[in-house]
Amino acid sequence: MRYVTEFRNAAFARAVAAEIAASTDPDRHYKIMEVCGGHTHTIYRHGIKDLLPDQIELVHGPGCPVCVLPMGRVDDGIAVAERPEVIFTCFGDMMRVPGSKGNLLEIKAQGADIRMVYSPLDALRIARENPDREVVFYAIGFETTAPSTALTLQRAKKEGIENFSVFCNHVTIVPPVRALLDSPDLRLDAFIGPGHVSTVIGCRPYEFMPKDYGKPCVVAGFEPLDLLQSILMLMRQLNEERCEVENQYGRVVPWEGNLQALRSMAEVFELRPYFEWRGLGFIAQSALKISPAYADFDAELRYLVPGVRIADPKACQCGEVLKGVLKPWECRVFGTACTPEHPLGTLMVSSEGACAAYYNFGRKSFEKAGIRE
Amino acid sequence: MGEKDLTLPDVCTLDHDGCVVCSDAGIPVRVVSVEGDDALCEDAAGNRARIAVELVAPVRIREVLLTHGGVAIGRVEEGS
Repeated sequence: MRYVTEFRNAAFARAVAAEIAASTDPDRHYKIMEVCGGHTHTIYRHGIKDLLPDQIELVHGPGCPVCVLPMGRVDDGIAVAERPEVIFTCFGDMMRVPGSKGNLLEIKAQGADIRMVYSPLDALRIARENPDREVVFYAIGFETTAPSTALTLQRAKKEGIENFSVFCNHVTIVPPVRALLDSPDLRLDAFIGPGHVSTVIGCRPYEFMPKDYGKPCVVAGFEPLDLLQSILMLMRQLNEERCEVENQYGRVVPWEGNLQALRSMAEVFELRPYFEWRGLGFIAQSALKISPAYADFDAELRYLVPGVRIADPKACQCGEVLKGVLKPWECRVFGTACTPEHPLGTLMVSSEGACAAYYNFGRKSFEKAGIRE
Repeated sequence: MGEKDLTLPDVCTLDHDGCVVCSDAGIPVRVVSVEGDDALCEDAAGNRARIAVELVAPVRIREVLLTHGGVAIGRVEEGS
């Protein structure tokens, strides 16, 4: 399949890396943020960082939906999962995200009926197969994932399935990026835009970056060559003093996005006035809730959800890492109190989280820098 | 890179992709047959699964779709 093979070619990768090196000003420092957790994962899994000159610093952004979920929303989900009539369904990573009194795996071990699913459609199938139980899907994710939840609810409504509901935690990508750009303690030169979110929303929503903040953005794919080519495109923009949104991932991302998916989302969801992000605080219009037309499927209306708000553990510095102010290994508990086996912060939970990616793949970077393992 | 390499464990497939729980991963799959709102699709390693295709309809047999969480969210232009 050409989609995969050609974008992992080592000779091409070395050639692009050489072009990046040639376009780097030795007296300048370039700070580029990859917004998406999937990109962070690719960068460390494939050693992209080792191919770049020292002058180029990659900063990891807030694009992992598990990592940005505040502890209170985890506790709210657990409160629903503990109800005896409920079959609680969620994606696998969600099971290990710590709430204030444990995680979903621990609640499952205590007897709650919690099941990992690959797709919200699997949760709907479980509802069909268990008409005497209430099935709740704990929805997380950016605009990549929100369409599958929307489609599932449209199917549930069409089929008249009454024992199914969604606890909605879907978030949107543009408001947190704007919040980062407004943050006074962060200086960035350019952005690598999220590829698969853009399959749905297109490239137009990023035009505020060059227009309002003077920052170039290149929407990128997820293979190693995609990322290298995107970095080269950003370097060319910076060197030529251009500032625009470019699409490196044209084989998948249409400029206007997926209009059918956007229509489904518009029917099923509406924007929340505000939503809490771990480490970033409350951000206006940054998340989705179930629309009135689908209120019968809204788990937050169907069940008494405590709506708790809990501060992150004091030792945890996920917020600073999410904002790109600290590198993962600069956090005071990285690799000691906080590891993938026993995560303290959410960035260590998901394989897409910056800390987990560093822990699993990036050891060479901090060994080279003489930093503790 | 030969076709055989696609079976390496770190290739994005329906079996091993990091996508079950991910933020932004997508798996390219080829349409084998279309059955109403679903299509039987095959990934690079030959794994097959039923994928919901309403959001990219109409789909054609042999075209490549981008899937996320059991739902096709986009179309892949192989020639570009």
